[in-house]
Amino acid sequence: MSETGSPPRAFPRDSLASRLIQAVAGLADRPMAWIQRAVGGRGMAYVFLAPNILFFGLFVFLPIGINMAMSLTGGTNLFLSERPFIGGDHYRSLMQCGSYLDPASCREDHFWKGVSNTLKFTIVQMVAMVGTALVTALVLNRKIRGRGFFRAVYFFPVLLSPVVVALIWKWILQRDGLLNGAITLAGGEKILFFVEPGWAMFWAVFVSVWAHMGFYTLILLAGLQAIPADLYEAAEMDGTKPMRVLTRITLPLLWPNLVVVLVLVLIKAVQTFDEVFVLTGGGPGTATLMVVQYIYETAFANQVQNFGLAAAASMMLGTLLFALTMLQLWIARRKAA
Amino acid sequence: MAGLVLTGIGKSFGPVEVLRGIDLDVADGEFVVFVGPSGCGKSTLLRVIAGLEEVTSGTIRIDGQDVTTERAAERGLAMVFQSYALYPHMSVYRNIAFALENMRLPREEIEARVRRAATMLRLTEYLDRKPGALSGGQRQRVAIGRAVVRDPKIFLFDEPLSNLDAELRVATRKELASLHAEIGGTMIYVTHDQVEAMTLANRIVVLNKGRIEQVGTPLELYNRPANLFVAGFIGSPRMNFIRGQVGAGGKLVTPDGKVSLPLPPGTVATGEVTLGIRPEHVAPCSAAEADARIAVELVEQLGSESYLYGTLADGTALTLRSPLEDPARRGEDVPVRFDPARLHLFDAAGLAIRP
Ligand SMILES: Nc1ncnc2c1ncn2[C@@H]1O[C@H](COP(=O)(O)OP(=O)(O)OP(=O)(O)O)[C@@H](O)[C@H]1O
Ligand SMILES: [Mg+2]
Repeated sequence: MSETGSPPRAFPRDSLASRLIQAVAGLADRPMAWIQRAVGGRGMAYVFLAPNILFFGLFVFLPIGINMAMSLTGGTNLFLSERPFIGGDHYRSLMQCGSYLDPASCREDHFWKGVSNTLKFTIVQMVAMVGTALVTALVLNRKIRGRGFFRAVYFFPVLLSPVVVALIWKWILQRDGLLNGAITLAGGEKILFFVEPGWAMFWAVFVSVWAHMGFYTLILLAGLQAIPADLYEAAEMDGTKPMRVLTRITLPLLWPNLVVVLVLVLIKAVQTFDEVFVLTGGGPGTATLMVVQYIYETAFANQVQNFGLAAAASMMLGTLLFALTMLQLWIARRKAA
Repeated sequence: MAGLVLTGIGKSFGPVEVLRGIDLDVADGEFVVFVGPSGCGKSTLLRVIAGLEEVTSGTIRIDGQDVTTERAAERGLAMVFQSYALYPHMSVYRNIAFALENMRLPREEIEARVRRAATMLRLTEYLDRKPGALSGGQRQRVAIGRAVVRDPKIFLFDEPLSNLDAELRVATRKELASLHAEIGGTMIYVTHDQVEAMTLANRIVVLNKGRIEQVGTPLELYNRPANLFVAGFIGSPRMNFIRGQVGAGGKLVTPDGKVSLPLPPGTVATGEVTLGIRPEHVAPCSAAEADARIAVELVEQLGSESYLYGTLADGTALTLRSPLEDPARRGEDVPVRFDPARLHLFDAAGLAIRP
């Protein structure tokens, strides 16, 4: 009863589509043949890669190089040729601290405040994001009424621009905003969310979770749906309690997706800037100032634009992100193996 | 081990009625096989018994206890899935031990039971492997092992051999039979392979369109099919059917009057009937003793036997089995004799008419 045979073709050999593709591909035949004769079969790979490398170099590698050069030169001039070489001075001043545990004791206290805020934000946000995304995915994976509707609803914020998201929530949370309106209506006292450091950080995390959760929910949902339904039936036949099904079947099988989500959330959290900046402006004081905001302000917003110092800080952040990305690639590769 | 009683089981998916009025008694220790064409509701009935589907009507009793509303986990049954449904992230050992761990048995007890099952199923050297690193036959045995260790009230199998190649299927079939002989549990087994059904079953349940057509031992179904459906379904190649009227002299006459055949001795019938005879009960013979003649259209030679496919004078297709290597040629006109003791007769509604 078993069937054998070759896998189905995308197009039948003589279909109109396949002939059309051949005709179009034929146009490139002759020039490609010339190039191939010139560079050899192996060289062709690089010919195909060249256009992409060119753009990548122009917009990624070149700026990284310039940034590196900026971080090693001083002065306020924008043009490298006008900037004196100062070696690792910027890095040294960034690292100059009485105690690394106390941002106020550092020469660049805002940088370290940013580092400490970003760290706090990252940890809390990772837990909150992965937690809510996981719970949402588990619920949406059940056969509930209106499942498609809810999936769309949770994904919707992902489509909004971060600035729009921040503005919406600012409007809700401001002194005379929607939320305070509701609180006063219920007979409570207005809360100045953007004046109290704890509240500001809370809402920074909350809003970013609200905005991005749908994306991670989608990844986890895809992972959940890849778990064969008969495993759950087997577990049911094996007399497994629901909690044990979750811990012994669902989570282990979801683990690869969960790791991908964890690392993606981590990388994004470290990069956080736009939403929080628009929402709180880094305030009150420096309570929600993130590293990227520090870099931005040092380079472009402060009275004295210190490109070199900002470049040095961004090099350090870039190195961290590079390491995290390598981690993610390593995990993804291990998953594929 | 336990008996099972189904009463008036009905199951609908929305407007689609998949099972209707199923009544069935399965005795303790019995091996019962459900057969029927694809889509007739075999798997659904098994899943209803397992508790993986809720019934729409009727009751299920296991060991005299009404379990109709109990969840699958509470019924104490074990199921071997067609897909095996092994936990891919657990070793063979943990796969087999999982249900026992759920029961919170002591560790030594679990270990002892798993080892015993592994020895019986020749899995001992694979206990540390993941299912992904096993062959189809080995996975199959793990799935069976997972059911066996639990010492369940009833074993349920849903086409457990359908993913195996022909040779392995025969081997595993024998193993299942000896497994049943050894541990003697109540087993309910779904298949659409009638050889599996005939060889494994104490009793066969033939299902069609969500109803039971007949329940009986393999030989009862073969020798005394209750209706046309069962007669056609059990046996391979399938039974020959010749439709006609009961004419003068108590013979069956085809509508065009060209063929006239004897009825089973002792049967009384009138009007529209269908005569049935299995290919193995029709034999070539001398012209003098012939009941009919067939025009041979195709000869299949299998070495040990041959099948002749042909038509009667009125065009009705007729197949016969011959022990000879080379009984006839295509285009020949062969006189044949029907074994009178093996004739079956069915009335216009398709029900068997017995002497
Ligand atoms: N969840 C479901 N929803 C709707 N219809 C279903 C569902 N499950 C089964 N059916 C229908 O019920 C009928 C019986 O299905 P079932 O799987 O029991 O057949 P089966 O006898 O096991 O067939 P097979 O030999 O192909 O496995 C089919 O017509 C099928 O389409
Ligand atoms: Mg089925």
